Amino acid sequence: MNEWIRTFRQGIGIENPLTVLMIGLCATLAVSTQVQNALFMGLAVVFVVTMSNVLVSVFRNAIPSEVRIPIFIVVIASFVTIVDLVMKAFVPGIYQVLGIWIPLIVVNCMILGRAEAFAYHNKPLLAIADGLGMGIGFWLVMVVLATIRELFGTGAIVWFETTLVRLPAGYAPPSLLLLFPGAFLVFGFMIAGTRWLGERSAARAEARACRR
Amino acid sequence: MSTISQFALLFIGGALINNILLTRFIGLCPFFGVSGNMETSMGMSLAVVFVMMMASTATWVVWEFVLAPLGVGEFLYIPAFILIIASLVQFVEMYLRKASPVLYRAMGIFLPLITTNCAVLATATEAAKPGFFKLNIPVGASLSLGQALIYTLGVSIGFGFALITFAALRERLELAAVPRAFKGSPIAFITAGLLSLAYVGFSGWFGL
Repeated sequence: MNEWIRTFRQGIGIENPLTVLMIGLCATLAVSTQVQNALFMGLAVVFVVTMSNVLVSVFRNAIPSEVRIPIFIVVIASFVTIVDLVMKAFVPGIYQVLGIWIPLIVVNCMILGRAEAFAYHNKPLLAIADGLGMGIGFWLVMVVLATIRELFGTGAIVWFETTLVRLPAGYAPPSLLLLFPGAFLVFGFMIAGTRWLGERSAARAEARACRR
Repeated sequence: MSTISQFALLFIGGALINNILLTRFIGLCPFFGVSGNMETSMGMSLAVVFVMMMASTATWVVWEFVLAPLGVGEFLYIPAFILIIASLVQFVEMYLRKASPVLYRAMGIFLPLITTNCAVLATATEAAKPGFFKLNIPVGASLSLGQALIYTLGVSIGFGFALITFAALRERLELAAVPRAFKGSPIAFITAGLLSLAYVGFSGWFGL
């Protein structure tokens, strides 16, 4: 159980796919203009990475290593197709906005990376922990990025036409944050910030260890 | 609209106005991964032009003559296209190794990487089955093979252009004094942001 929790926490913290490993960036930067889109995209990614991890892990002894990559891709592509059709049927508005990003989950390097680096060598239960941890780590960073961009780029956060948060009326939002450059800039500052925090907490832990 | 101007619009729209790296965020992994020096980014760009052209031709033909007539395109296009691209790249690699060692040395190591590059899948999907990028080009719901190829050429050249520019910038950044927390990738993102700011200036050209 401890190992399960440790694997789960790794994806959110020290091995976070976005801020630490920096894989699967494309979708994150592109759909993080609205919190609502980021939430749905994140949900799709969590589903696909967890399910493909489980399936690969269950069949890990049956998959010959020479053809493992094509097999992983087919497994991932099938789950992406499920997401594609389900979203088209139940949330057509979101599907329209996310557009090409749904099929492109197939080539999200994070998902193939987890199948290859983790699920292929570990038991199904651990693979679920890894998939959930990585997926949720990805999701959290994307939602934070989207919150910054939507809140300061439009002055409000909107959830299906209901305004959740609104900045004071005198705030004039810069459109830069919503445009493509904004994503790069905000994300650059976010990585620098997490790195600074990580260094600071490491330094503190070291100081504490010295005092002892 | 005449054919020539339609082709020009498809090319410019793909290369500059809808630049796949800087305005659509597609294919960012190689953008940050191989842009460390000029030489590798040139090899990568060459390989991308080559693979994208072949991938688009293949997916266009398969969509037009197999998936669409059978009516299975809507739910089979994702696995079908990615498998086509993966096996195509594998064959090209084998063929190049035998037939043209010079070309193989220039772009060989990039070929396997390109398989899971979303830029190739995105462009090939768009060429075969337009509509995702909202190109705003009055050519109807589908592209002819010629239009699809011109569009792909534009996209891949735009990709190479952005990648090489960025690599040139990053080579200089290596020597620059930046705050410690920003060293490496954060400053690269901020540079990419400024570069992409330049591409915002293209939007609206020819009403695209």
